[in-house]
Amino acid sequence: MQHVKIPQDRIGALIGEGGETLRQIEDRAEVRLDVDSETGQVKVEQTGDPITALKGPDIVKAIGRGFAPDEAMRLLDDDMMMFDIIDVAAAARNQNDLQRHKGRLIGEDGRTRELMEELSGASVVIYGSTVGIIGGPEQVDVVREAAEMIIEGAPHGTVYSFLEEKHNEMKHKGLDYHKFTG
Amino acid sequence: MSETQEDKWGVAHVHASFNNTIITITDETGAETLAKSSGGTVVKQNRDEASPYAAMQMAEVVAEKAKAQGVEGVHVRVRGPGGNQQTNPGPGAQATIRALARAGLEIGRIEDVTPIPHDGTRGPKNAGF
Repeated sequence: MQHVKIPQDRIGALIGEGGETLRQIEDRAEVRLDVDSETGQVKVEQTGDPITALKGPDIVKAIGRGFAPDEAMRLLDDDMMMFDIIDVAAAARNQNDLQRHKGRLIGEDGRTRELMEELSGASVVIYGSTVGIIGGPEQVDVVREAAEMIIEGAPHGTVYSFLEEKHNEMKHKGLDYHKFTG
Repeated sequence: MSETQEDKWGVAHVHASFNNTIITITDETGAETLAKSSGGTVVKQNRDEASPYAAMQMAEVVAEKAKAQGVEGVHVRVRGPGGNQQTNPGPGAQATIRALARAGLEIGRIEDVTPIPHDGTRGPKNAGF
């Protein structure tokens, strides 16, 4: 059993129309969700297979961090799907600085965020003071690194070429993983 | 380890940090180590030690060794670095549990045993993102 806290304005998204989304999560992740709509506290309890239920809290957290329920459900598509959060507020000095960082992460007309999604293959959502990432392990790593570069003040051009480079690398690498041969 | 009675259970201790993953399978008391592995045994590059792929390979090896000693299933105790460092288990934790299950070990209870300070020492200056 685990507790997850989500913001007030995401409770609606978690529950969905007539509780549809909530029921879908409960079915697919084999958990029981207990939502306290006053505080935003969600109790996640496993009902079936403990291994599928591992993803339950992540799905709730992802929806709480601004992902659409359908995107959050992608976590269940594949064993290797990961959810990661970058806390921008931890790097920002004050409210203005946070806003500047968020603006830089999103980019003009959302260009930077879109490029991060396109070139890595992960889905990226910037909400409140966090960047949420859903994707495979390398995809999440790439986005995380790119976002950290931006937060540390790298120019956008540099980050784009970094993403481009990683994109080509991922495209050509295939799935072979170097094994330790001794 | 001479007696091979039916459904012998063990405990899989998984320490998943952001730099490494350490898996130790012990008997139910935790006193006797049956198998252990860490990131460095399966990958070459240091930065890959914490990767989910490494964790999966380790879990397979460890599960094989444990089964050879008659372990049918394991309870899992995952932990992150804890203390005044991050309290969430690293990327290797989930992968390990999945790979253990796939390798044919039954998974019992999954417990988070990250050490949580009840107000200990002062945290590091910049705790990261």
